[in-house]
Amino acid sequence: MSTDISNKRLATVQRRPAKGKSPFRLAMERFMRNPLAMTGTVILFMIIIVTVFAPWFTHWSPSTPDIFNTDSGPTAAHLLGTDGTGYDNLARVLYGGRVDLTVAFAAALMTMVLGTVYGGVAGYFGGWIDNLLMRFVDVMLNFPFISLVLALEAIFNTSSEWVLIMVVGLTSWPAPARMMRGVFLQLREQDYVVGAQTIGASRIRIIFRHMLPNSLSMLIVLVSLSVASYVGLDAALSFLGLGVPPSTPSWGGILNTYSDYVSLATKPYAWMPPVIMIVLTILSVNFIGDGLRDAFDPQSRS
Amino acid sequence: MATYIIRRLLGLIPTLFVITVIVFLMMHAMPGNAFESLVFNPKIKNADALYKHLLAQNGLNQSLPVQYIHWLGNILQGNLGNSWSMQAPVSQLIATYLPNTLLLAISAEVIILIISIPIGLYQANKVNGSFDVVSSFIAVFLYSIPSFVFALLLLFFFSFSLPWLPQSGTVTPAVSWSGDFGDRFQHLILPALALALPQLASYTRLTRGNTLQVIVADFVRTARAKGLRSRRILFRHVLRNGIIPVITQFGFDIGNLFSGAVIIENIFTWPGMGQLSISATISRDYPLILGTTLLFAVMVLIGNLIADILLAAADPRIRLG
Repeated sequence: MSTDISNKRLATVQRRPAKGKSPFRLAMERFMRNPLAMTGTVILFMIIIVTVFAPWFTHWSPSTPDIFNTDSGPTAAHLLGTDGTGYDNLARVLYGGRVDLTVAFAAALMTMVLGTVYGGVAGYFGGWIDNLLMRFVDVMLNFPFISLVLALEAIFNTSSEWVLIMVVGLTSWPAPARMMRGVFLQLREQDYVVGAQTIGASRIRIIFRHMLPNSLSMLIVLVSLSVASYVGLDAALSFLGLGVPPSTPSWGGILNTYSDYVSLATKPYAWMPPVIMIVLTILSVNFIGDGLRDAFDPQSRS
Repeated sequence: MATYIIRRLLGLIPTLFVITVIVFLMMHAMPGNAFESLVFNPKIKNADALYKHLLAQNGLNQSLPVQYIHWLGNILQGNLGNSWSMQAPVSQLIATYLPNTLLLAISAEVIILIISIPIGLYQANKVNGSFDVVSSFIAVFLYSIPSFVFALLLLFFFSFSLPWLPQSGTVTPAVSWSGDFGDRFQHLILPALALALPQLASYTRLTRGNTLQVIVADFVRTARAKGLRSRRILFRHVLRNGIIPVITQFGFDIGNLFSGAVIIENIFTWPGMGQLSISATISRDYPLILGTTLLFAVMVLIGNLIADILLAAADPRIRLG
């Protein structure tokens, strides 16, 4: 009996007219066919696995030093050696990724929210609001990113992951804001938005229901490309000793430990791995970002 | 052209005003002031009264707008206050360190333009040829490597593994040839390369993309139809039009260039603004931090102005429109 019922149901499903694929689905299929983008996805996925499940790959803790083997070269126990305090370098590379990736993704999310709201308001309302808001963006773009970061670090006067995320988020929203403003200005003139306005849809509905979904593809591309640059920025700040505190393992922090000329010349086994991780992460995220851009907008491909 | 430049210069005034307001507000958000430590000094009797007296004497108990006007007056006279950690006027420190940063940034920019424009042009000329494919692929790698990582790699390969180039400073100390042109040039190569390489890739990409758009334009076809040599078309017709977005991008990227210089200078112990601002941040030397922040913003502003003027020179529609 039961097989009979399920067969019937299957038959009814099949009789429905074939539904067209959504643009998002089509884009995802194009993305899947892009070999570079898929390589990037696999590499990034592997990096995330390795950092999230770091305890499976090393039994050393990144915060308990092995005080009998400080500053050792690569050995069977410490594959990448230990630093001057006795921290295992492999453990610090693996656990360090957690901080770097969290900061990069959280900061990218924060900039995108700030940028979209700011740029969206400017682009949707236009006129003097747009003028005023964009003049402020122009002014903010005059501050070199890093000097604003340095000034904000001085104001916050502490260092932690969350301060770093705040600092990056608060300083880098102008560029996405400018871009989203352009997108919204363009969308505002589209027929379906004009149509929604004519049938009396509310502003909120037009913005959230019609314009935001259509700017989503741009946003996703922007997020992925900015994640790539924040991985580099976060590592650079930690490298300079201005990112996360030295006790927290991070890729930039490891490089900072080995940034003196003697270590650079004699201990590539210790500083090359975080360099490789940073470059691989950025490379894979860039591949994904490029793949997403090509997938959402096939014409952009040159 | 002159009226265009004057118009642009006048347009800078409101921007400059807002920049100074932002820097001033940041200064107020920073914790502490020059006299706070006196309160904790056990040798001073009646420290609170002295503290209040000093605040009043230096005008720090006045309202924010009044303080701002005083501060702005000082800035306009070139007085940026005294650095706490280096015991010298901020303006004097900046005057010492700024030329080194400018030298580094300008050399990097020259490297970027000299290499990326011809490569991009060549790529677009033979699009999807083997050179195009290979160099585009290398470019993705180049721009995925942050400049400080480049700096470390360059140091490792060209200064330690192959002892060709010096690893730090601007001159070799205590030798007879210290400070002459060749010596300075040798010290400049690695930091300038580290700063230029990541941006090199994006400029090549930009030039290639723009050239591809221009190369199909009608005037190029006309030039080809009337029998001009392809080299002449490329350099005379395509390049001038293809380069315009590159100049715009150059204006946007000046800030990035300085940001990059801050990090690179620290690695190569290059005595420039970057080292100055980082050591200021680490020692919480607030007057110096604000002085460097303000100066960086003004530098970017000037850079943008230069980019705009170049743009107007390259494209008459901009200065007349």
